[in-house]
Amino acid sequence: MILAIVPVLLITLLIGARGVAAMRTTSDFLVASRRISPTVNAAAVSGEYLSAASFLGVAGLVVKDGVGSLWYPVGFAAGYIVMLALVAAPLRRTGALTVPDFAEARLGSRRLRRLSAVVVLVIAFLYLVPQFTAAGQVLAVVSGSPYWVGVVIAGAAVSITLSLGGMRAATYVQAFQFALKLVLFIVPAIWLVLQVGPVVRADALEPVEFTRFPVATPVEFRLDTELTITAPTHAAIAGHPQQLLTPGRYAAEGGTTWVFDAGAPVPQVGTGRPPGGEEWARPVLDPGGYPVLATWSMLVATVLGTMGLPHILVRFHTSADGRGARRTAAITVGLLGVFYLFPAIYGLLGAVLLPELYLSGGTDTVVVALPATVDQSWVGTMFTALLTAGAFAAFLATSLGLLLVVSGALAHDLVPGTLRRLRFTPIAAALVVVLLALRAERIDVGVLVTSAFAVAASTFCPLLVLGIWWPRLTARGAIVGMVVGLISSAGVIGVDLILGAPPGLPAIVLGQPALWSVPLAFATMVLVSLRGTPPAWAAAAMLRLHLDENRSGSAATDDFCPPRSS
Amino acid sequence: MTRQRRIAVTSPQTRLALAGRRTGVPAVPPHLAPADAERARRIHRRQLRHALTVLGLLAALLLGLPLLLVAAPGLDEVRLGGIPVSWLAVAVLPYPVLALLARWQLRRAERTERPDRPPGVRE
Repeated sequence: MILAIVPVLLITLLIGARGVAAMRTTSDFLVASRRISPTVNAAAVSGEYLSAASFLGVAGLVVKDGVGSLWYPVGFAAGYIVMLALVAAPLRRTGALTVPDFAEARLGSRRLRRLSAVVVLVIAFLYLVPQFTAAGQVLAVVSGSPYWVGVVIAGAAVSITLSLGGMRAATYVQAFQFALKLVLFIVPAIWLVLQVGPVVRADALEPVEFTRFPVATPVEFRLDTELTITAPTHAAIAGHPQQLLTPGRYAAEGGTTWVFDAGAPVPQVGTGRPPGGEEWARPVLDPGGYPVLATWSMLVATVLGTMGLPHILVRFHTSADGRGARRTAAITVGLLGVFYLFPAIYGLLGAVLLPELYLSGGTDTVVVALPATVDQSWVGTMFTALLTAGAFAAFLATSLGLLLVVSGALAHDLVPGTLRRLRFTPIAAALVVVLLALRAERIDVGVLVTSAFAVAASTFCPLLVLGIWWPRLTARGAIVGMVVGLISSAGVIGVDLILGAPPGLPAIVLGQPALWSVPLAFATMVLVSLRGTPPAWAAAAMLRLHLDENRSGSAATDDFCPPRSS
Repeated sequence: MTRQRRIAVTSPQTRLALAGRRTGVPAVPPHLAPADAERARRIHRRQLRHALTVLGLLAALLLGLPLLLVAAPGLDEVRLGGIPVSWLAVAVLPYPVLALLARWQLRRAERTERPDRPPGVRE
């Protein structure tokens, strides 16, 4: 089954080689053609954006947490409206490739540039680790190998692709990746819906709480899991003959398989809710009694965080001018909207057909596990292979983009070095991510990605929005605001991950801080800026971002709109 | 297949910064011609107004819809083609609305940037 990812690697490399060949003369990774149409560029942005979190994580969260998880993709897509309205065109006109570039261009501060580079690293690592986790889990499911093997293979695949020459350099590769992911996600979804039959379809739309195993069900616990059994349960543990488990707490060791008898009651795991219950079916996020706050907080993070994702901003630079960048953002909203209609199908079918994934902690693998459940013949195997390939394409596209951004931040902003070092850093960074991912098996892909969004929303969003629209922003205000935003997002999430917050309101406030950390960062930036005075050229530095390139009779934009090659 | 000429894209800022780092001379502070500054100020004001309108509508959609779904649990029982309306409101409804908002905002932003026409001349 691992063979399924080989064609993906080969085809992307092939297209990459064709696209890159013309640009081999340029020394930098950061190259692009200037004559890409907004539609192709939007496909490239979407290709880069649709990560393992979108391909696998959303459906997994639906099985695990309920229908309310479908708010995640809404936030992922809506972020581009904010991008379109506030950031795309002006940012393109600064000529800044990255947020650190923008910080220095707009506010002229080296310190702010370095701080931004640090934030880029925080966001990129928060985003990268779950990609590797997902890749490891998927490979573990389809090949039956242990989790760490999957992570190491994923790391090796990324490193090889990187060392073969930064395939991501070509916009066409990413645009192709988007088309690939779209087909590999939609076609199996339609096949699944047709294949499962009317009974399962009706069950998916009228969920019943998963309280009893309908048939004898093997549950393979990937991690050490504590089960609470509330009624006498027949089960065979780790190959032993079936026994009657009396009510109480049991520890299931990672790697063991428990076979629950038909009709056995479903044990409880942690504080989670089994799929299909009434709470599960409510279309809001509700981790602890505050559904509105929890949903809003996630939406604020994803919608405002999109503009701060470093690997996405670089893509907008491929547009010819600010106008093209704006069109790219607008088309991206539509393209993502098509893709995000489909995670719901996998999630709802998964809740009916594979609810036991909720016990084993493997909900992130529901997408690739579904075809084999529906059809045991070669057709099911083929669709598993297709989905695995798609998931791997998603993992590759995002990981490569982020690793290059990480190496750019390290080599360019933090530790000035030569291109030689730039070529080596992505592989070193991949190694660090692999080591982190090996320890992060338990974390949901979608949740960790959302914390990356929360950090971006609390740091880069105020910097970009105020920098582009408010002439009085000072470098000092930006620095203080970013530090406050970083601490109140990344710091608080870190404390929550390490110590664990009590459920209820504290869990939302600490685990999903965007609802208060973003306003706090904005307020800090504004207040500190108002106490200082911006330099005399600040107004001009801001205003020129709003001047369109195509007007006649101007010399001021020469720096910002290099002549088009023809 | 015609081969298009490609050029390396390095950010002018990066180039300036690198040049500055090498020579130790800071980059030239930005400046605008008075006419350009005037036009930029006007565009900035209008674009800000457009952006705030569309963001207001977006906020109304994204903050209002969860509120509505929590306040009206009865929507779970209403079904359209067998699917609960409250599920459709999350899984399907937002995407066409977002696409329309994007289209509308793009139109208005581009119209704002159209070259100024002499007074009295209409399209």
